[in-house]
Amino acid sequence: MFGLTTLAAEKIPIGNSVFIIISFLALMYILKKVAYGPVTKTLDDRAAKISNDIDGAEVARQEAENLAVQRQSELADTRQKATQVVADAKASAQKQSDTLISTASDRATLISQRAQTDAEKLKEDAILNAKNDVAALSVAIASKLMQKELSLNDQQALIDAYISDLETK
Amino acid sequence: MNDPTAQFDFLGLTFDWGTIISTLLAMAIVVIVSIVLTRRLSLKPGKRQNLIEYLLEFTSSIVDGQLPKKQARQFGLYAFTLFFFLIVSNEMGLLLHFEGADGVTYLKSPTATPIAAMTLAVMSLVIAHGIGTQELGLKGYLKNMLFKPYSWMLPLNIIEQLANFLTLSLRLFGNIFAGEMLLTLVANNLAWPGHFNGLWTVAALPIEMIWQGFSLFIGGIQAYVFVILTSVFIAQLSGNE
Repeated sequence: MFGLTTLAAEKIPIGNSVFIIISFLALMYILKKVAYGPVTKTLDDRAAKISNDIDGAEVARQEAENLAVQRQSELADTRQKATQVVADAKASAQKQSDTLISTASDRATLISQRAQTDAEKLKEDAILNAKNDVAALSVAIASKLMQKELSLNDQQALIDAYISDLETK
Repeated sequence: MNDPTAQFDFLGLTFDWGTIISTLLAMAIVVIVSIVLTRRLSLKPGKRQNLIEYLLEFTSSIVDGQLPKKQARQFGLYAFTLFFFLIVSNEMGLLLHFEGADGVTYLKSPTATPIAAMTLAVMSLVIAHGIGTQELGLKGYLKNMLFKPYSWMLPLNIIEQLANFLTLSLRLFGNIFAGEMLLTLVANNLAWPGHFNGLWTVAALPIEMIWQGFSLFIGGIQAYVFVILTSVFIAQLSGNE
């Protein structure tokens, strides 16, 4: 060996070995403090963060899915409710209109009844008046014709009988 | 490699200036690059953060391919530091090469010296054997290392363990050393052997460029191979083949 024979000629520098070992250990310590420790920690932190992020994303996805399902059911619920409301409103409107119509028809019946009664009363009144007028006229005519005073009261019964005879015809 | 070296003794041990300076520079580069790349880390990475994350994930993937998750996590820092340091060391000598006036090389790839490569190999193997003992217990570890798959393979297994050490260290050393040596040879003997060398000086440039590119590639490959072999040894010795 080229180098070994040379070294044999001089003193073998065993101190170099000691020096290299000690300085290497020191270098290891410094690198641990300066580079290896911090960088390993950063790598571990990053791995942990990525793993956490993946887990977090999974949880968030699950949550979103749950929310979507919830929304869906709520939507269906709301739609059903809306249908219900519309149906209720329709029914209530129907009911109201029925009430209105029946009230109106009742009132119309009432009005027409009253009108009929009024008309009948008017007619009766008119007939009564006419009766009275006819009686008075008849008396006047009769007294004129017979120049004879006739008692109105005596004639009244006769005229009534006559009139009712007319009415029945 | 018959260059002179500047050595000094301290606490009864011999040290070599060239290796110490080169190692310190390589480590300084590693630390500075790390600090620059890891400023303002965030969950959403920028360009610089992406680069260091890519580097870290690359070394982690080497380890993850060989070891169970728990061990891979334990071993991740070592693999990261080793790869980062090796790739800087391997490439450094190709770009920076400083020779003093006394002929001593003060700055080169630290991994181009056998002692440094062997030290790193020893460190990796000690870790591998340590994890093996920790995983299987001393008895299980010895049995797994020496008597598998058959007990008569004991001699072969002992040789294998020795060979593991030699191949791991000498592969690294040989590749990086050869890359640098050839660059130096081309530069010193072909391009400028003390004077203008005619056509060779011109021809040396593309040769040097091609070899430098190849050496950069080799340096990356060797850093990768060293880390992957370390994790293979750990897997073998802890019975996770």
